[in-house]
Amino acid sequence: MKKPRVAIFDFAGCEGCQLQIVNLEEELLSLLEVVDVVEWREGSSEKSPEFDIALVEGAITRPQDVRRLEQIRARAKVLVALGACASHGGVNKLRQRLDLGAAKRIVYGASAREAFLGSGPVQSVDEVVSVDARIEGCPIDSQELSSVLRSLVLGGEPKTPNFPVCVECKRAGNVCRYERGEICLGPVTRGGCGARCPSYGMWCYGCRGSVDEPNIHAARAVLERYGKTVQELEERLALFGSR
Amino acid sequence: MRVIKVEETQIASWTRTLLAQQRVVAVQERDERFVFDDLHQAEDLRLDHDVTLQPPLRHFLPEREELVSFDRPDRYAPVEPDDRPFVLLGVHPYDVAAICQMDAVFAAGVPDPHYNRRRALATVVACDVETPSGNVFAGAMGTAVVEDGYDVLLTRIGRQYLVESRTAKGDGLLALFGDDVEDALPSDLRRREAVWRRNRQGLRQHALACPPQALPRLLALSYNDELWQERSEYCLSCGACNLVCPTCYCFDVQDVVGWDLKSGRRLRLCDSCMLEDFAKVAGGHQFRLRRDRYRHRFYRKGLYTPERFGFVACVGCGRCIDSCIAGVASPVDVYNTLLERHPEALEEPREGAGARSLGQALASLLGRESAEEAASAAREPVLTLRPRCEAEEPRLALAKAATDALEVEQLVAKDPYVPGQAKILAKRALTNHETLYRLCLDAERKLGHKSGQFVQISLMGIGEAPISVSSGPDDGPSFEIVVRRVGNVTEALERLHPGDTVGVRGPYGTAFPLADLRGKDILVVAGGIGIVPVRSAIQEVLWHRGDYGRLTIAYGMRAPQDRLFGEEIEAWQKEPGVTVLETVDHLEGLWHGQVGPVTTLLPSCGIDPPTTAALVCGPPVMYRYVLADLIAAGMEAGDIYVSLERKMKCGIGKCGHCQINGVYVCQEGPVFTYAQVKNLPEALQ
Repeated sequence: MKKPRVAIFDFAGCEGCQLQIVNLEEELLSLLEVVDVVEWREGSSEKSPEFDIALVEGAITRPQDVRRLEQIRARAKVLVALGACASHGGVNKLRQRLDLGAAKRIVYGASAREAFLGSGPVQSVDEVVSVDARIEGCPIDSQELSSVLRSLVLGGEPKTPNFPVCVECKRAGNVCRYERGEICLGPVTRGGCGARCPSYGMWCYGCRGSVDEPNIHAARAVLERYGKTVQELEERLALFGSR
Repeated sequence: MRVIKVEETQIASWTRTLLAQQRVVAVQERDERFVFDDLHQAEDLRLDHDVTLQPPLRHFLPEREELVSFDRPDRYAPVEPDDRPFVLLGVHPYDVAAICQMDAVFAAGVPDPHYNRRRALATVVACDVETPSGNVFAGAMGTAVVEDGYDVLLTRIGRQYLVESRTAKGDGLLALFGDDVEDALPSDLRRREAVWRRNRQGLRQHALACPPQALPRLLALSYNDELWQERSEYCLSCGACNLVCPTCYCFDVQDVVGWDLKSGRRLRLCDSCMLEDFAKVAGGHQFRLRRDRYRHRFYRKGLYTPERFGFVACVGCGRCIDSCIAGVASPVDVYNTLLERHPEALEEPREGAGARSLGQALASLLGRESAEEAASAAREPVLTLRPRCEAEEPRLALAKAATDALEVEQLVAKDPYVPGQAKILAKRALTNHETLYRLCLDAERKLGHKSGQFVQISLMGIGEAPISVSSGPDDGPSFEIVVRRVGNVTEALERLHPGDTVGVRGPYGTAFPLADLRGKDILVVAGGIGIVPVRSAIQEVLWHRGDYGRLTIAYGMRAPQDRLFGEEIEAWQKEPGVTVLETVDHLEGLWHGQVGPVTTLLPSCGIDPPTTAALVCGPPVMYRYVLADLIAAGMEAGDIYVSLERKMKCGIGKCGHCQINGVYVCQEGPVFTYAQVKNLPEALQ
């Protein structure tokens, strides 16, 4: 069997998801037994005209990004959005809450008008091209990435988990963060992370976006029940660009 | 049975002795709450806990466990079990009751070897409640105190404990206290009675306004109550209530494969019927919306399980109330509100009262008149909260087997979760979406299926999917399946070729009772890929042509290019007494036949109700219309057979995914008579 060719690309983001690929460490060698990594700026100097699987990290913020992404889509058989920025905009979407000019001035000061800072509205990868799979998280879970890759190589279609973080949190036997008087986004946030944050004593930040059908009405009622405000919840949700 | 009296300090030294001898899973404090976990030092044991976060069930049905180990593509083996005996220490009476219930569930039908093996290895040391939890209502459910189901029972009286042994295993544990222990005096036993009285009264943080035995009747009256919609609007569908419940046992199955892309494990994980995808099938059809999922949990506890096993599957531990941040999980709250709206539930049931139709529909499907009869079948005088632990036989067999290597081998050879192998003999594309495979089990073993049954097809590392057998039962050592590419397994199957191997479990489920239909006219009504399962019956009827009257096939499909078995249909039509009528929903391409839904064919079928049996299979939306027309044509509901598709996963009535109300489609279905399912609201939505 010919090894599938994998290419990894990055757009607006912190490259933390790519770092998670590097963090596979020994597993990287096993990965390379199974796939050929043909293009990866962070890990290799090679370039390739075409590939089977494209892993795309980051949000799409500039017109040239849109064109580049469309070219990647055309060259890839399977396109996987990697991480919160690629999947739903991630922290980049915070900028959407401000006037674009104001945001640029805050960040770049006097240089805000430079042509190379041609930022436009922030888009997730699937707002620009079709996406075959999403690996959620900020950053991604390297084990989830490796199982998605194995599944793709075997010819399966990786399924994005559609259950809330509570499921894995209960399986882990954790005490509910609400019992601790905290706001936790777990009940409406897509699981698959193994409830990592609650298991380590933090509330869920919602980095994996919401489940397909979050019950917003119920979430509001819960806040009321625990003496919290909707604004507190919205601020939490905004962090990772949840929609 | 022996009851001794020991000092508190002796419990600690006894625990140390236990620890030196075997694995001890005991109640300990963690994060200011309590958990059952491996005990490392006797000092960590707590017997004054209020309630544990997770029920002790997790030590028999872990949140995650390996079911099958495999080497792709064609080697499957049972996993090496952990055969260490262990003591489960500190189990409250309500959890003992729940364990007894789960014993009944996992011993029923095809016993689950994984649960039963662990159960056989366990010695259960119960302890009476010293500190009631904030939401416990075991007193209201009759489970505040238990009289059996444990091996040892500890009861604190003052600064001493009474230790009762109930079984031979318990006697062994009692002996570890040494020879110079005192037997309990009658006065000690009276003090224990006082503890029990206190707990029966005290473990009632919530008061249930009816005896638990009235719950099945209450729920039978309340199916369409507005409460389900009202409360479900506050339900997050997060699954917390199920995942902490000592009587929730539904599970999901997933494959993981290593970097060699060959070796892997099939896992099962605790699942929750509250989750959005729980009852969603590969084609995407959602059989239960949020309201229906919310209602389903209460019905499983208070109606479906009583009808099937004779016990109410809620023991009043209060964990669901503790864990529901939305505050809508409380069974007491729901039942009491329903009681206010349906006070007639407390009256003696009248003869022929229509309100019980849902319960009766389920009971009759299970071959019983009522929950009371289910209880008596379980050799209990009345509906009970706690079956006696009569799941002993399979458990004892397993316990014995666990100590006998040869028998273990035989036992695991029968592990119902391990697939057999089948080779693909032939593969033929029927349309752009559907492919026919002819499969042969290894060693040319005959599948031995009946028309209408299904198998579970496994591609290790990808997963498992329920697929109807599409060929008749007399078809030699091989059989045929037709697969529409709608999910992971079916897509991956498409990439296999003749000579490749797949895993097969089954056959499962009920069949069209063709032997009983001899002499009748057979009317087949099929919509879309509904023709696939009924083709087995058509073939069987054709092979025994003289035994049946007219065979009429009404086949509706979306468009001409979706037509399956085209050449066969031409051949069927040439058989004497066979009529095939076809229609398409949309006229695309070349088509000379009828246009319209499959019901437009029925007037031309010449139905003669008294002599006709109808076999109906199609997409969910089709049934309502076809069944209404058949009844309008004068047919009896008992003469109409339907084949219903749900998300069958385990195939042996355990995982819960395929339920229609309280019916397991993999057990009581997929073939039902219309009479059986017409009062099951989830059957033909």
